[in-house]
Amino acid sequence: MMSAKRQVTLTVNGSQSQVPAALHDTLLTVLRDQMQLTAAKRGCNQGVCGACTVVVDDRTVRACLSLAQNCEHASISTLEGLIEQAPMLALQRAFAHNGAFQCGFCTPGMLISANALLQQNPSPDAGAIRAALSGNLCRCTGYTKIVTAVQEAAAALHAKVVTP
Amino acid sequence: MLQGLYHPNTVDEAIALLAQDPQARPMAGGASLVAMLNAGVIEPAALVSLASIEEIKGISVMPDGRIRIGAFTRHRETAEYALPLGAAAAVRQAASLIANVTVRNMGTIGGAIAFADPGLDYPPALVASGAEVEIASPFARRVVPAREFFVDWYLTALEPGELVVAVVLPRPGEGAQGVYIKHARVAGDYATASVAACRLGDGSVSVAVGACGPIPIANDAANTLLSADRSGAAITEAGALLERQADPLDDVRGSAEYRRQLIPRLLLRAIRSLEATEGEKP
Amino acid sequence: MNTRNDTETRENEGAVGVSIPQREGGEKLTGRAQYIADLYRHGMLYGAILQSPHAHARIRAYDLSEAKALPGVRAIVTGDDLDPQHRMGAFIKDEPALAKGKVRYCGEIVAAVAADTEAIARQATRLIQVDYEVLPAVLDPERAFDADAPLVHDDAHAYSAVFDSGTQGNICSRTSLREGDAASAWDGCDVVVEHTYRTQAQAHLSIEPCGALAEIDASGRVTLWSANQSVFRVQANVCEALGLSMAKLRCQTPHIGAGFGNKMEAHVQPAVVLLALKARKTVKLVLSREEDFETVRARHPAVVRMKTGAKSDGTLVARETELLLDGGAYGDDSPGVLGYALLMNCGPYNIPHVHAHGRVAYTNKLRFGAFRGFGVPQVTFASEQQLDALADKLEMDPIALRRKNIKRDGDRWFGGQAIHSNGLEKCLDLVEQASGWQTARAANGKAPASEMRRGMGVAVSAHISGLLATGAIVRLLEDGTVLLNTGAVDIGQGSNTVLSQMCAESLKLPVERVAIASPDTDGSPYNWGTTASRITYTTGRSVVAAAGEVEKQIKKLAGAMMECATEDLELRAGGTVGIRGVPGGGVSFAQVSGYAHWAAGGPIIGSNSWVFDQKTVDPKRAVVTGLPFSQIGIFSFIAQVIEVEVDTLTGKVRVPRAWTACDIGRAINPIMATGQIEGALVQGMGYALTEELVWDGGRLANPSLMDYKIPTFAEMPDEQHAYLVESDDPTGPFGAKSVGEIGINTVAAAISNAVTNAIGTRLSQLPLTCERVLAGVLAAGKTP
Repeated sequence: MMSAKRQVTLTVNGSQSQVPAALHDTLLTVLRDQMQLTAAKRGCNQGVCGACTVVVDDRTVRACLSLAQNCEHASISTLEGLIEQAPMLALQRAFAHNGAFQCGFCTPGMLISANALLQQNPSPDAGAIRAALSGNLCRCTGYTKIVTAVQEAAAALHAKVVTP
Repeated sequence: MLQGLYHPNTVDEAIALLAQDPQARPMAGGASLVAMLNAGVIEPAALVSLASIEEIKGISVMPDGRIRIGAFTRHRETAEYALPLGAAAAVRQAASLIANVTVRNMGTIGGAIAFADPGLDYPPALVASGAEVEIASPFARRVVPAREFFVDWYLTALEPGELVVAVVLPRPGEGAQGVYIKHARVAGDYATASVAACRLGDGSVSVAVGACGPIPIANDAANTLLSADRSGAAITEAGALLERQADPLDDVRGSAEYRRQLIPRLLLRAIRSLEATEGEKP
Repeated sequence: MNTRNDTETRENEGAVGVSIPQREGGEKLTGRAQYIADLYRHGMLYGAILQSPHAHARIRAYDLSEAKALPGVRAIVTGDDLDPQHRMGAFIKDEPALAKGKVRYCGEIVAAVAADTEAIARQATRLIQVDYEVLPAVLDPERAFDADAPLVHDDAHAYSAVFDSGTQGNICSRTSLREGDAASAWDGCDVVVEHTYRTQAQAHLSIEPCGALAEIDASGRVTLWSANQSVFRVQANVCEALGLSMAKLRCQTPHIGAGFGNKMEAHVQPAVVLLALKARKTVKLVLSREEDFETVRARHPAVVRMKTGAKSDGTLVARETELLLDGGAYGDDSPGVLGYALLMNCGPYNIPHVHAHGRVAYTNKLRFGAFRGFGVPQVTFASEQQLDALADKLEMDPIALRRKNIKRDGDRWFGGQAIHSNGLEKCLDLVEQASGWQTARAANGKAPASEMRRGMGVAVSAHISGLLATGAIVRLLEDGTVLLNTGAVDIGQGSNTVLSQMCAESLKLPVERVAIASPDTDGSPYNWGTTASRITYTTGRSVVAAAGEVEKQIKKLAGAMMECATEDLELRAGGTVGIRGVPGGGVSFAQVSGYAHWAAGGPIIGSNSWVFDQKTVDPKRAVVTGLPFSQIGIFSFIAQVIEVEVDTLTGKVRVPRAWTACDIGRAINPIMATGQIEGALVQGMGYALTEELVWDGGRLANPSLMDYKIPTFAEMPDEQHAYLVESDDPTGPFGAKSVGEIGINTVAAAISNAVTNAIGTRLSQLPLTCERVLAGVLAAGKTP
């Protein structure tokens, strides 16, 4: 399946660029291969593992299940674009101190989903965290320290102790 | 070889594009479709994206009190719909159990039911609650009861070139409620088997079984029985009626035999769950 | 002996014992960490594999003409590009780089294509025609030794092996260990239990699929990047499989997205190097998730026939274990898994009369190989259930029965090896107490019948760490900071951090002043690999020794600089050397290094190289045939209690609570240690409850995350506790032993024992699917 590449205009992390994309190219393929935004990972290419999770127009989506062409008028955010913001900083700090990652391959998608959760629900309990992150698979940590980290990040944000 | 990706703004435009190119496929949320594209399972010549059609988005209450869910409504929106749904609360519950938050941000009810994967969560809930499916064709709109919409494995009442425009839920009746019981190996998996049980506005009970055959299983005699009697014996008998209609698969989620065993057991859980809602606000 | 959780610190700690964050956090938490799929080279080609559609077939011919004609195709390799003499294999040299002459499993790599884009490469693979002569396949390991079974390898006995493997026909390897006289000991037993247990193939499911990137320079030397657990095994495998001199291959390591054993031996690396050599260009190939499932390796399915006898007071007397492992099409690590599983089959109990024997069968399925636990989860599922079955018959509490028999100080392991540190009893105390075992079990027993039934189960186990060769080089840089190079691959478990902590502690430096090199066969000393829970113990010992060499050299030069005896010198915190008892004065590491570079001695380099030397088997005690390792390592221990809740309507099992205590010798980084235990628990839950590779004839039926399900956040225990017991091993670096694998050994057994406690029926087949558990519920008559 090799349709010709055409120029697609994508707005990623606040800046607009023209990238070549075939009609069947997913957003994941384009972000990684054309734009060198490799934080989003390919773990299954079927939308199950969650390692490709990014944000499109304020919703978390699977980049591997989104056609790049369909994202032309959307505002796309990847981990690379979110790392300077307070909620993400709080999460990163909490993940680091709580051992909430090991190999790190699931981590970008995990952070995107956790960040989205905290924006919707600033004080999630363990049950809410587990429900919100159930679409992000991790094979290394056994999940416990991730839940702890998200709760710690939420508390830090609530107390406004994290400054960008 | 994918050569075209269209973005019509109205249902009629979309229908026209599909009529023009019989090789073109409609695309809603895209989750299932792009997964199949990635896996090389399908190779459509063109895709007609329904993402720009305002008419088919959102959930609204119709003048007669029925509830219209536009085909392009994401599972998440349906799952979070806050107003009373009566028996169709089963549909809301089904939406909330699909996959995970992120997939629910992408998938749509129209795309899901048009695909008609027998493991889907909507079909038994739609059948049990008495929902209808609004279909657009080149010439007219028509409405098909959910029970007649699902025809066979991955086959619906849609003719080639037709589109699901909306799912219409009945007016929430006084005291009506619905539950959806899903049994799956892990959270986010397709159902191994499922049961939707509804108490309709007139007080009768309507149930349907999912993931145990090509289409949801509903049985009028079972409904009549359960409407009058919800004792253990009645549930066993109703379960047997439903089980007899089942045509389950042997697959990695379970053997056909196991699914048959599950039908009366999940029915029991669904009925007891439904009973627990008596007196609750719809 | 200490117990600690991961938030405690000891007083006067340097770097060791502190839960410092993983060093790679900055890279991983910002998405900047580069894994194999994130590497790009200008002008590189993309690779794709063609997989065999048949489980067993002779390859008669290839027709590459259509594929070659596709624009953008730059190279195609098949078995025709291989010399039939060149084969690789961890124990038995039975495996070509890709299929040659025959295909032996569905999914085996038959050809590989390099092209301008991945899409072109994949399309080209679909245009390759292979003329197969389909052969009957052997798929059932229990039928593999039948006289008329098709032979997976036509001349298996002719393969060279690194030990006396007994390879012939479809026997990949065979092993036997014997102590005492089990055959005649049964008469002396008051109770005997005998049963056959079956366990399934489990997929590693690292979230990162396997991949490799090979670059070739003008002289034809190859630099190979790959997702790996050992640069040295990659090098050896590729060179053996391609007949390449090791001097012509450099293996390097990007960030690794976990392995659990999947990336320990070769996957696509030989094929990718072959492509790069043929195309004379850089080639990158990353497997899809489906290809990773079908092509690489998985955990050995096992049939365990086990018999255990005891006296009426609970003293264990005899054990016989017959183990059959499905080895798949190639030997890979199977002989090691067989030998190790048999060595561990008794569990940490004193049983005087034991006969443990088994075979690995070649079958026409993907190779089964190293996977966390390395055979121990399989035999523990059997052994720990037999302990409970005996407890049942003897009307003894399961923990009391275990206490009566567990190894204590002075006891030797099955085979005769001495155990120098043993915290098992402490582990058992902890989990018995924390779980409220007595009370909870009594309450479960008296609970009124309801749809949800709770049960609690226990299991104990051990693990041996220390296998094979290791080295370390510590260099003092010109500015007094330190560069550590060990060749140990950090696959996410945190070895870079832990080894840096040990190096820093040894030299009294802050850990920030220790850098650690990425594993590189050009620059790193040999390290067998990140497997077998060995890095903390073996590489840690090497690091400490190498740092010791650096200390010696520093003191020698400092002595010359300060004109004093080296015996009077001491290292001080922060990188200085001073005279004992004389505060102040002294010289900094930077000054010493400057002296070394300019005046005398030369650059300060400390190195160490060693292999564990305590023999596993005492020939006066045990009779052993076909054990691939003569020395393995030291013992860590685990005790675990798991509470389950069984939905008797559907058979679904969930785990509300779990308590795990591990004697790991010493926690170098406590939060990383509990991280291993927690991760192993959940991976073990998948093994116990939902994960199973299923074959439909010769093909995998569920090579997809849609169909093969691992636990999600929703399935994790509501409450779990991980306790670290520190028995301070006298040979371990800072007393440390291991923690990487031990946490998975007991999970399936503890869950199964708990399910039995809940429903009354004992299940002997993994996984405990809802369907199997429901059958157990109905058999016991415990329906609501």
